[in-house]
Formats: sequence, structure tokens, C-alpha cells
Amino acid sequence: MRDEHIIGLLDNTPLGNLSAAQLEVVRTHSQNCLSCERAYQASQLSSALIKERVQTVIEPTPFFQTRVMAALREQQAVESVPAWLRLWRSAGALVSSMAVATVALAALSFVVPSATNEQAATAYSAESVIFDQGNDEQLSYEQVLSTIYAEEDEAK
Amino acid sequence: MASLAQNGDESAFAEIVRRYSPRVFSVASRFFRQRSSVEEAAQEVFLKAFTQLKSFEGRGSMEGWLTRIATNTCLNMLRSAKRRPELTVSDLTEDENKWLDQHVSEVAGVRHSNVEETLIAADLADRVLDVLPPEDQLALLMIDGEDASVKEVAEATGWSESKVKVRAFRARKKLREAMEKLLSHKKHPQIGGAIGNER
Repeated sequence: MRDEHIIGLLDNTPLGNLSAAQLEVVRTHSQNCLSCERAYQASQLSSALIKERVQTVIEPTPFFQTRVMAALREQQAVESVPAWLRLWRSAGALVSSMAVATVALAALSFVVPSATNEQAATAYSAESVIFDQGNDEQLSYEQVLSTIYAEEDEAK
Repeated sequence: MASLAQNGDESAFAEIVRRYSPRVFSVASRFFRQRSSVEEAAQEVFLKAFTQLKSFEGRGSMEGWLTRIATNTCLNMLRSAKRRPELTVSDLTEDENKWLDQHVSEVAGVRHSNVEETLIAADLADRVLDVLPPEDQLALLMIDGEDASVKEVAEATGWSESKVKVRAFRARKKLREAMEKLLSHKKHPQIGGAIGNER
């Protein structure tokens, strides 16, 4: 039966706090029960490890007091500055750069496109196409015909 | 001294830091083993104490009040740190394996005269304890390690005594099971040696 085992006792009480009578029960039972023997062995090791762990205590250095007082003054200096100013100091650069970016975007959206449209209208208006016809470097119909017939004559 | 510090007397607070820093370091050492972590925690404790000085009414001792602040501060710091979900035999160093082998058949409570062995054991203890929640670690270290009473743990943490008992029982059980698993894997490597993952 599980109730007869000593595992519950091991989990309930620190090993060091078991009475002599309880320890005797644990030892006697462990000799005849493999699972309880394992549990007892594991408890002994756990207890030993915990005892070793608490032996390590770090002592403060002589400079610790100075360090704390310096940190305290720093904290007080930060707290003496108004909250809005602290916020501005931490987020001011970000807010400024966002404002500059917004202005730049607005300029690009409203000023630059209208100028481009005017240029485009000028360059491709019907009048300019008609009046510029005389200036282009395309060959006239007569020039094309004379070139073709001249080549045929030479071939003959 | 406390009332002087409450009125903003810096030298009085400096005296509090000087007088109680060994106690605060001792509490922080339960949670951390690196000096830098212990110092960081202790500094945080005194900064908190300074801002909360007004709430110290002088009913209990200054040491008790600082102990509670230190315990809660360290618990919070440990909670934010990532816990190791499990520990396997392969995670152990050669020295830790050797320590386990040497002490498997020894009686619990043995003290090592060898400083190196003590450090190896403390490292191994840290690794094994790391599978437990910080609150359970604290209950176990105080009761089983420092022989503190349930009442003392309750005062240091602000928990009820029944909560302390439950945490200590649960931690002890979990640690025993973890250790059993580790030992069985050392004897029979083919079974599998992960501990702490059956939560």
C-alpha cells in the first residue's frame, strides 16, 4: 500500500527536522522498499544541495553605500524635472523629426505635382505639336521618293 | 534614524544603508549568486525603501521591513528572468556529474571542507532549483536550507502560513522527483534524464 511508504513523510518535513524515531522508520522501510529507497536517496541529495546553496552569501563592499547614495541623488535629479520636460527630452527628437517629415510630405504632395503638370501641358499642347512640325528632322515625302528612285537607277 | 530619513536627511538614510546592507545582501544572496546581480538587487531595494519610507510607521523593526522589501524585489526580478524548463544529465558539467556520483551513497547533510566542491555543489543546486518557480525556491531555501520557521518565511514574504507550507511541500516534492529522475538516468542512461518537465 502507498500509505505505508515514507515518501509522504519525506515531502512533508525537511530531512533535518525529522525526529530520531521518524528517521529510524525511514531507514528501516527503505531497506525493504526500492521506490522509497530511491526517494530517500534523492531527498538526502536535495537536502545536501540546498544546504550547500545557502552557504554562499555575498557581503557588501565598502563602496556600496556610496553607490546607493549616488543612485539616489540621480533618481532625485530626474524626479525634480517636470514630467512634460522629461517627456520632451525623451521624445522631442522623434516628435521634431515627425513634424519635419510631415511638412516635407505636404510640400511634395501639393507644390511639386502642380509644377510638373504645367510643364507637361506646355510640352505636349496641340499648338506646340503643329508649330514644331517644320522644325523636326523627318524626311519629306518628295525626298523619300527621290532617294528610292535614285537607288533603283543606280542598280540598273 | 528612520524619522530623520523620512524628513529627507540624507546622512540618516546613508546610515540605514550602511547598517542594513549586510542583511539585504544576505536576502538577495538567496536568489542570486553573481555579485553584480546581488548588488543590483540590493541597490533597487534601498531606492524603493527610500521612496516608501513614509509608509514605515515604526511598528515593526526596520530590518524586518527591509527584509520584506528585499524579498519582494528579488522575487520580482527573478520572475522576469526566464526559467529553465528542464534539466537533463547532459546539461550537467563533468564536475557536477562527479559530485553527484560521489555523494549518491553518502549521508545527507555532509559538509565539504573543499571550497571547490562547495562551489560545484552550489552551481548544481542552482541548476536543479531553477526548475522551480521563484516562490517555491524561496520557501525551500529558507525552510530546508536556513532552518527558518514557517512563521519567519510568512513574515519575510507577506504570505499566509498555510501558503508557505503548501509551497515548501510542493517544492520539496518536485525537487525530490527531479533528483530521482536525474539519478535514475545516471544509472540507466537509456531511460531518459530530463527533469522538471512533468509539471
